[in-house]
Amino acid sequence: MFSNSNTLPKLYLSVIDDVMENVRELFLEEGIEEQVLDDLRQRWESKVLQSKAVEGFSKDNTNPSNFVLQLPANYSQTLQKTIAPVVIPAGQLAQSFAAKGSTIATFSLPPGVTYPVHIPAGVTLQTASGHLYKVNVPVMVTKAPGCQRVSAQANQPLVEQSTVSSTIIHNIPAQVTGPCPQTLPATQTSQPALPTHQQSQSQVPQPPSISLDQSTRPEAPATPEPSINQQYSQWPPESPSEFTLDGIEFSPQPLDMSMSSPLTTQLSTGLLGASGNAQVSEFGCSVQEMVERAVKAEEEPVALASSGDTMSLLPDLERTPDSAVKLEMELLRDYNFNELTNIVQMDGACDSSSEAGDEPQELEEESGAIGENEFLGMINAEALKALQGAGGSSDPSDSSSSNNDESDLKELEEEDPLNSGDDVSEQDIPEVFDTENVVVCQYDKIHRSKNRWKFYLKDGVMCYRGKDYVFSKAVGEAEWFCTGFGCCHDCSWSHIYMSDERLNRTQLQAHLTSVRIGKSKEVKGKQAT
Amino acid sequence: MAYHLQESLDELIQTQQITPQLALQVLLQFDKAINTALANRVRNRVNFKGSLNTYRFCDNVWTFVLNDVEFREVTDLVKVDKVKIVACDGKNTGSNAAE
Repeated sequence: MFSNSNTLPKLYLSVIDDVMENVRELFLEEGIEEQVLDDLRQRWESKVLQSKAVEGFSKDNTNPSNFVLQLPANYSQTLQKTIAPVVIPAGQLAQSFAAKGSTIATFSLPPGVTYPVHIPAGVTLQTASGHLYKVNVPVMVTKAPGCQRVSAQANQPLVEQSTVSSTIIHNIPAQVTGPCPQTLPATQTSQPALPTHQQSQSQVPQPPSISLDQSTRPEAPATPEPSINQQYSQWPPESPSEFTLDGIEFSPQPLDMSMSSPLTTQLSTGLLGASGNAQVSEFGCSVQEMVERAVKAEEEPVALASSGDTMSLLPDLERTPDSAVKLEMELLRDYNFNELTNIVQMDGACDSSSEAGDEPQELEEESGAIGENEFLGMINAEALKALQGAGGSSDPSDSSSSNNDESDLKELEEEDPLNSGDDVSEQDIPEVFDTENVVVCQYDKIHRSKNRWKFYLKDGVMCYRGKDYVFSKAVGEAEWFCTGFGCCHDCSWSHIYMSDERLNRTQLQAHLTSVRIGKSKEVKGKQAT
Repeated sequence: MAYHLQESLDELIQTQQITPQLALQVLLQFDKAINTALANRVRNRVNFKGSLNTYRFCDNVWTFVLNDVEFREVTDLVKVDKVKIVACDGKNTGSNAAE
């Protein structure tokens, strides 16, 4: 099943493509603009990607070798890990970062690195000053003669100021999920404007790749904000390649360009414009560096499942001669380290940062708890039937006092033969839909022999702990036990459920087994608690 | 996945960019597309074994709840405490909504 993680992204994307194509006509007939269709597509894709149902869904996975950028200090190894979405060294994560305030980070290219530099998403960069940036969005840093352009990309909020030597980074517009507090004070640039400037100069990976790259790491703790520190940067440029990254303001905007583009990794223009109010820091061109970035901003809540990609726009194509370009990133939201760690989880938290893995257990516990309360009321009816000893008599009284009125209990007692235990199984096992592991498929044949069931299924999709799997054929078998109120049909042996269903089931199973073997004849009328 | 599509559609309906009727059409298209995709593009086999908790057959749709199930594929094994299986008739064209 885990091999599905490689094929699922493509499968889902192809499904999305097919659906979008088929629906396009419908939309047109309704007189709805294609913009809406693209909007729908973006939202859908972002949600699917964010759900982590599809892991490793990164365009960068196909281009691991492009990543050359190495930051000084201890992030070289991190940088090497181009693909792993969740590679965030714990010790390197910023605890928290200034929530609101512009931060300026400068990056410098490590020696020996030549432009263009491609930073795949998921890499954590650290600036010299110790700030951590997590590249949520693939970033390509290119050097453009005489012009700098920064395409701001909504990177994860963990942005801190850094004064590391500069690197020119092209941000590949990628979706930044979760709150992206980065803001670019630079002037807003429009996508069309950018291409005109940059076409000849930079290569910016296509946004569509970004959409793939998106947030499998939704809340990556640090996003590297490439900053071009040119002359007007606050820090004196350490080298010609220095640049600072100004805060990037993001506003929630649908990432039209990225979503609608084909899944290619080449940007013809090099600028990824973000529709909307993306504000990009202004850039000046001092040295022959050009940075483009597409900034996606998201103002959604930090939930992992939060969708709504926004793209803030790309930097202005201004050229300020011999001036450093600065991008200031402002954090729009606070992030807790805990949130970040939760976000970073690989195990596919389904919709929220809460532990998805624990949910099934929680559900069981809840159902057990619910069952308890209900059982208390029903114990009376059942106890009357099953109990012979006086030991059971205390139970109904206790339960009645704690739960139902005595009159109700009496009614139950009277109607005992009729409705005792009815619908218990449904109450006992509430079929909760929320984050339940579900398999949706077609059946070829369902077979039962006594209490042994055999399933012949096909063409199914399974969601387990938020992760999706698919199959073309599934064969299964299961044994059905009377897990209701624990009645054994062969004898009148029954037992009172405790809170732990499994324990009861085990007991019942053991009993049934023994009955089948024909060992326990003495259990008639026996109560087991 | 269908859930995400529904969410997105609902958002658009909220902002009144599309009509509910249109959203329904989109979902129908999605059903067809996902069925085709699953039938044509997926080729893997899964085995599972567990204990059956409940079963239901209504309107030609089987709904099972299994406990302590092991889903076994050639490559790997997944253990599940509880799983719900919804299966539509695969012989005739039954509607199927994937997640």
